[in-house]
Amino acid sequence: MNDEQVWLQKARRGDKNAFGQLIEAYQGPVYNLAYRMLGNAGEAEEAAQEAFIRAYTRLDSYDPAHKFSTWLLSITSNYCIDQIRKRRAVLLSIDEPLPPHPALHSDNNKGPEAQYLAQEREALVQGMLRELPDEYRQAVVLRYWYDMSYEEIAEIQKTTVSAVKSRLFRARRQLAESGMGRSLVPAEVEDEVMV
Amino acid sequence: MEHEERYYLMMMGALDNELPDADRDELTAHLAGCADCRREWQALLAIDTLFRQTPLLMPVVNFAERTLALLPSSRLRVRALSAVYLILLASGIVPLLLGLFLVGRYAPLLEQPALVERVVTSVVNVGRVAATVVSAVLAGAGRFVVEQPAVVGLMIILAGFVLLWGGVLQRLLAQPAAISVRNRG
Repeated sequence: MNDEQVWLQKARRGDKNAFGQLIEAYQGPVYNLAYRMLGNAGEAEEAAQEAFIRAYTRLDSYDPAHKFSTWLLSITSNYCIDQIRKRRAVLLSIDEPLPPHPALHSDNNKGPEAQYLAQEREALVQGMLRELPDEYRQAVVLRYWYDMSYEEIAEIQKTTVSAVKSRLFRARRQLAESGMGRSLVPAEVEDEVMV
Repeated sequence: MEHEERYYLMMMGALDNELPDADRDELTAHLAGCADCRREWQALLAIDTLFRQTPLLMPVVNFAERTLALLPSSRLRVRALSAVYLILLASGIVPLLLGLFLVGRYAPLLEQPALVERVVTSVVNVGRVAATVVSAVLAGAGRFVVEQPAVVGLMIILAGFVLLWGGVLQRLLAQPAAISVRNRG
């Protein structure tokens, strides 16, 4: 039995500190998913906290036959989608620039130029993600940042594998068009490309 | 166009490392001759590379500790609410089962009309007494409102203040966590 399984067993018996170990282990993945979905550091932190709270109160319903990470990220992403839908009731300017993530300001290991480039890349990535419909964005984030299989993404999105493939297909097409519009691809197309 | 869709699906397979060798060769040969598909493939590769190289973002310091501090009350609240729901459920089911038991047990007695008539009369009398009591209370309350309108008005205003400040207090209590989270942004 690995550490995670031990913590889970203890947490299910009410050991709060054991669940704290799980929070330490998964705070990055959960927060990252919330940030990629919501695009705002403050909202992402609240969403991540809420996801952990929900996971803690629903531990009795967790099936150990499935990966805990998949279950936890499922709670996180579904909560984020609910928040996005609630947020749509408020009019927001689509041209409003996103504030850079605080971690990009505070990384002392990088020089100013590297920090600037990191911020630019983050802004580009978040800008492109924001253009995608919610379910497409969810599939893209789970695929690229968490290396989830189609089956795992289908489980989280409560849909079929073919629907996930279709969403990723359309999302990538949309991202490619967006990338071309943002000069992500050089104007001069190479004559030979490797597949 | 149909042929572009087919090659686009091959590109998806290539990105996911799920493209058979034969299809890979076919796609490579097609890209050598189709500038539009070549450009799309380069865009897809660029997106793929960009996203894969973008790191996982971490929350700010003490996120785990602050989240942990929020946990216990939620679990206790869930348990308390579950207990309340169970009690309410039992309070509905138990009388129903008791009623069914009593009907089954004493059904033969309903075949005695005199007894039924006495039971109905008793129930009606109890109802009359209850109605008398309630009407007396309401009449008294009505007289009080008519005779002491200022007192009634003051009570309504006080109730309004309690509701208003209760809501304000609730928002104030919720605000420090929200502010501290936003300030860290």
